[in-house]
This record gives sequence, C-alpha cells and structure tokens, in this order.
Amino acid sequence: MSKTRNFSLSRVLAVSWRVLTQISRDRRTLALIIFIPAFIMLIFGFVLGGQVKNLPILVDNQDAGYLIKATGLNLTNVNVGNQILAKLEEDNRVKVNQGDYSLGKTGVDNGSYYAAIAFPVNFSKELTSRNSGQTSNASVTIYIDGTNPTVQATILTAFQSSLQNTFGNGVVLNEQIAFGGKEFSSLDVSIPAVISLVLTQTVLLVSLIVIVRETTSGVLSRLYTMPLSGIERLLGYSIALLVIGMGMTSVVLFIGLGIFGAIIQGSLALLFLGAILYALLNIFLAVFLSNFAKNELQAVQMVPLITLASMALSGLLIPVESFPDWVQTIAKFVPMYYANKLFEGIMLKGYGIGSVAYQFIILGGAALLFFVLSVMTVRDRMSD
Amino acid sequence: MTDIKNNLNEPVIETTNLVKVYKEGSIKAVDDLTLKIDKGEIYALIGANGSGKTTTINMLTGSLFPTSGQIKVLGQQIPKKRRIVATSIGVAPQEYALYSDLTVEQNIGFFAKLYNLQRGFLLKRLDELLPILRLDERRKTAVSNLSGGMKRRVSIACALVHQPRIVFFDEATVGIDPVLRAFFWDYFRSLAKAGLTIVLTSHVMDEAERANRIGLMRAGKLIEEGTPKEIKQRYSASSIEQVFLKLSQGAAADE
Repeated sequence: MSKTRNFSLSRVLAVSWRVLTQISRDRRTLALIIFIPAFIMLIFGFVLGGQVKNLPILVDNQDAGYLIKATGLNLTNVNVGNQILAKLEEDNRVKVNQGDYSLGKTGVDNGSYYAAIAFPVNFSKELTSRNSGQTSNASVTIYIDGTNPTVQATILTAFQSSLQNTFGNGVVLNEQIAFGGKEFSSLDVSIPAVISLVLTQTVLLVSLIVIVRETTSGVLSRLYTMPLSGIERLLGYSIALLVIGMGMTSVVLFIGLGIFGAIIQGSLALLFLGAILYALLNIFLAVFLSNFAKNELQAVQMVPLITLASMALSGLLIPVESFPDWVQTIAKFVPMYYANKLFEGIMLKGYGIGSVAYQFIILGGAALLFFVLSVMTVRDRMSD
Repeated sequence: MTDIKNNLNEPVIETTNLVKVYKEGSIKAVDDLTLKIDKGEIYALIGANGSGKTTTINMLTGSLFPTSGQIKVLGQQIPKKRRIVATSIGVAPQEYALYSDLTVEQNIGFFAKLYNLQRGFLLKRLDELLPILRLDERRKTAVSNLSGGMKRRVSIACALVHQPRIVFFDEATVGIDPVLRAFFWDYFRSLAKAGLTIVLTSHVMDEAERANRIGLMRAGKLIEEGTPKEIKQRYSASSIEQVFLKLSQGAAADE
C-alpha cells in the first residue's frame, strides 16, 4: 500500500497527469494555449508579409523643360521633371498627387502626405548643363515625414528608382547576396525573431497561470501535508508544461512555415528541437517566477516585463551591434538573443547542429539554471 | 499499512510547549501548547476564530513549522520526519482544497496517486468511501458543479482514501445542514471505533460536545481540556457554550 520514498516518479507523473487533465477540462486555458500563439503569429505574419505601398505624396513639378538639339537642326523640349513624375506614378509604393509644394509641406505636417517633392523651374536646364560638362546646380527638394523610418526609406527608394529608370542604366549595381542568394521577404527575415517572441510571451503566460492557480485554489495547503516533495511537484508541472509547450511550438511553427511559407534553409527537425528547448527554458523560468507570485494577477504582470525587455535587448527591433557597449553586454544575458540567433541560423542561413551548438548550449544551460533556481526557492510548506 | 511503528502505549499525538509566532506580527498564534491525544480518540480543538486552532493543526501536520516546542506524531518528530508521517495522516483543510475542473473520482484518484496507492486498492477504496459519503452517483461530476456539502464530503474522502491512522478535519462541519452534520458525526464515531484518531477543529461549541475530549483554545493558549462531561461539571454549566462564555467573561474581567 502506501510507502514513503524520497523521490517517486509516479508522484511526479501524477502531478503532470492532473495538470493536463485539468487543462483539457478548462476551456479558458485551452483557448489560451491554442489560440493565443496562433493569433499573435497570424497578426505578425499578415503585418510582416505585406508590402508598404500607396503612401500618399505630393509632387510639385515646376520644371519648364529645356530645348536641346536633337538630330540635325531640330530642337526638342526635354522635361526631366515630367519624366521622373511619370515613373513615380507607375510605382505602387507611392500614390502621387500633384499640387503646390507649400500645400504638400502643410500636408506632411498635418499627416495627409508622407512627403512633398519639388522640381525647380530650371531643373532640366541644369541637368542638361551638367551633361555637357558645365557646372550644374540641379537639385530636387523633398520634405519628408521622419517619424517612421520604414515609410521614409520606402519613399526615398521609390524616388531613387524613378531617377534611375529615367536616366537609364548609367549605374550598374553589382549585387552579391550571401546564404544561397535567396531573395528574403521581410516576413522571412522577421519570422525567426517572431517565433522566439511568441514562444516567450505565450509559454511564459500559460505556464505561470497553470502553476499559480494551484496556489490560489487552496490545494497547496493539502499538498503540503502529503508525501509529495517540492521538487516532485516542480518536475510534475514541468513535464505537463513541456507537453503543452510542444503543442504551442507546433502551432507557432505551423503558422510561420506552413501558412506564411517562411523560408527554412536548414533542418526543420533541428528548428523544432531548438524551439522546444527555448519553450522549456521559458517553462523553467515560469516555474521559478511562480515562487514569487501570490496570485494570477501578480504572475501575469511579470510577463510583459520580461517579454518587452527581452524583445528590445535581443535585437528584434534594431541589431544588438547598434547598442551602446554596456547595453550589448546586458543583451548577452538575455536568452531571447540566443534564440533569435539560433532560429535565424537554421532558417535563413541553413546552419546545421555544428554551427548552432553554441546557442543550444547557452539556452540549455540557462534552462538548467532556471530549474536549479526553482528547486532552491520552491516552498514545500506554508510561509511563516 | 504504513512503515511507522510507534509504541501502543504512547499517545499518537504529543506536543510540548508549542509556540508559533508569525513573521508578520509579534503575537503568539499558538502559545505554550502542551497536549496529548491517544489512539482512537475524537479530539476537538474548539475556540473562537483566531484562537490558534488552524495554526495548531497546520503544525501537527508538518505543513507549518513551529517557532519553538516539540511535536511528536506517531512517535516521530515533526517537522523533521513529516514526510514519513505524511503517509499515515489525512487532512481535510478548512477550504475544500479540491480541483474544481476535475471530477469527484479524478480528485480522489489524484491524491491517492500521491500516496502511491495501487490502482486496485484505489478502486476498492472508492467503492467503500463513495457510498458511505453518499457521493456514489456523483463520481463523474466535476467538483465545480457540486454543492458546498458535497465538496466537503469529497474533501473528507480525499483525506481518508489511503486509510490513514490519524485524520485532521479543520472546520469540517462548518456551513453544512444539521442532517449532514449528524451523519458526519456518526461516520466519525465509526472510524474512531475502528482505531482511527480524529482531530477536528470547530468554533461551534455545542458540536464539540460530541467529541471524546475537548481542548478549549483562546488567544493561542489551551485554557481548558477534558471530556465534555468533566468540563461542564468543573464550571457547573449545562453546555460547553456556557463554559466558553464564563471563561470569556473571566478573561475580560482580568483585562
């Protein structure tokens, strides 16, 4: 019948079974597990998969053109401003309206335009002078909204394309693209970091809720009187949450790769293994943090703190190399930084296990550290 | 049944000068408590809310560590040997302490697994306990769909599933109707007759008269102890409630 053992796998598995059974009967948590990662992935997928287009700009072409000698004695009026304007109107990245430059500037200030472009009256004349070897003052004035770097870059790129298309192939851009020459979309480039972000957010949230709910239900007061030790309880939670984490990882990868077709140049199995390891790290982090949360509200408050800080420090917004030196040092202690590198390496660069072993070791070590911290801080009796 | 053997002549529960002071606040929740409870007794710790009953139970079960003093349960030092003793005690805490999403059977089954009970033994115990506690038809019902009285019975079943030698019921009969309360007491007596020691707490004085012995607590101290008859005779009172009121008036006069 009943026996006392210091460690019992059957007690650990009993806790795991109980957590999984309870979740299977709890629609709210079940929805949280399936729909939240799916929802966040879908939102990111649609946002990142789309192209920036139809940005409203105003062009004021005051260019009067310039008469040049064509074949023989015939004179031809060349209007470079009109030619560039025509190319811009063909470009779907911008939506061109024509009007007075001052109206365009006002429009940028009040948000109805992203840019106002003005070609001066002597634009063609100055350009023609330059071509004939004389000194030229040909210039275009652009007043552009600087609040959104992506929008700013898109408009400037569209304008530069129109200049290049107008003047022909005077410049040849010699592109050499590393990692197989694949043409990555913005979705492909972003999805590795999005996977780590979604895994952090959702696995941490669900794990914390599952564990802390036990504290608030009053059952702990009964469990403390039973042969179940704190470590057995933590292992029980961890096994159940690992099963849940695997499910959530599958949802995240299925949407990223299956629905949005993000490029994966390396091994899918290696990517899944890496994602599971990262999910496990977040599970152990949640187990550790749960020791400090008295209720679900306190637990939930911890999630954005960790997610947002990790997101900023891991290089998801701007590359870590652009940070000040001391911030870069802090970033090296953020697990999401290594997860991003791991997922990028496998998905975009096609790295095998040999090239990402360092990230695997760091993430595995961090997971182990969090578990050890959990074991050291777990309570197996009531607080004094 | 368990791997604990204590001398038959020893009390199954024994405390000496037990003190508990919580970190938050300097008041002694339990103050110099010395008591002995023998095998097969129904011992009722009674007192007003905040008198230290639950704190005492928590210390006896090893889930709360004492500030000072000695505790022996089944001959074992508590809290040091609490994991050994854990297999021989059952606890029904003041809250229901059940998983509301799980069914009656799943709840009892889960706690049984923590005692490493074999499946065959568990099924036998379910067949014994559920009809006695009138839960047989609710086996597959989620606890969230049960009434308060039913939840209390499930909690008691969880405490008894592994056939413990001592069971602690913290306010087990509070908030239940008189018919069910009478049923509980009949059941407790049958368990005690079979050799089980029952320690229960209650703030309902007349209810405690049904116990073999009573320990009356106030402000963490055991202010009176004995059989209900002895205590009533000592204070020439017709009920334990009268005794309690007399003691309270005496305390107020002293202050």
